[in-house]
Amino acid sequence: MPLPEDINFDTLKPEEFERYLPDLFANGDGKVSQDPRLTSFLAANPDCAALVSDLETIAAHARSLFQVSADPSDKVWQNIQSKLDSGDFEDDEEAESA
Amino acid sequence: MTQAEAPVKSNPGLFKRNPPIAGEAEAIEAAKNGDPEAFSKLYTLHKRRVYTLCLRMLGNVSEAEDMTQEAFLHLFRKLGSFRGESAFSTWLHRLTVNLVLMHLRKKGLNLVSLEETINPSEEDAPKRDFGSRDPVLASSVDRVALERAVASLPPGYRMVFVLHDVEGFEHNEIATMLNCSTGNSKSQLHKARLRLRELLRENSDINLTEGEAA
Repeated sequence: MPLPEDINFDTLKPEEFERYLPDLFANGDGKVSQDPRLTSFLAANPDCAALVSDLETIAAHARSLFQVSADPSDKVWQNIQSKLDSGDFEDDEEAESA
Repeated sequence: MTQAEAPVKSNPGLFKRNPPIAGEAEAIEAAKNGDPEAFSKLYTLHKRRVYTLCLRMLGNVSEAEDMTQEAFLHLFRKLGSFRGESAFSTWLHRLTVNLVLMHLRKKGLNLVSLEETINPSEEDAPKRDFGSRDPVLASSVDRVALERAVASLPPGYRMVFVLHDVEGFEHNEIATMLNCSTGNSKSQLHKARLRLRELLRENSDINLTEGEAA
């Protein structure tokens, strides 16, 4: 649910917080735990704070997936070479109109 | 301009951080003129990134290898249209993302309406967490466990999670790519993270149990 402009963070309930959380993450540069508007709420609702902490941990670690990469097997280049040599690869008109 | 090159804007995430690669510009020009050695060099320089991207998006080694092959064959055909307006790696990244998305559409995964078509079943959907007293995740998540969890996400969740959290695309860019609303992209990302939280907790429960049994 989009975050209402007139939201009152002092009276926010956990159920409302849950509904607004996707937008809070999207609008707050992913740092919901550091949003000053939510300091009191998170202090008073440890389950919500734990959820935020977990989701921030997951997002932070997702970036580390960048740093690890793998090579394709040798057969990929062999197949590419073979198709290039034979000219036997689909002219991807379908891709252009998909 | 092909569909595979069109919809994705420049990516502020992955490739922006990469410095120019020595010898790449010369290899591009030579490959445009049909030099097979130069094309082989481009493959060597970029195979890892293209394959890793495919693997993250598809979660399957065999499909990722097939798509890597397709991406480089497509590159071979379209290299002449590369004008150098963006970094080559950015251009190749964009081409690969769009090829993977087309591949998924051909497989029948309708990315047009994420909510209706690729939402997991109710049993698979993330459960609400409020009121629970489960332990929070450790501040450091095991990378292998996270990779395994990402691979086991339903396709729609995985796609948005990989594009946003791993590849660094913004919600408006993802919405353009997947022909959905930005709200839909935000919602899918949130559900994906909730599901990952569950999977990682289950994994940590299993590890704890195994540790106790040992």
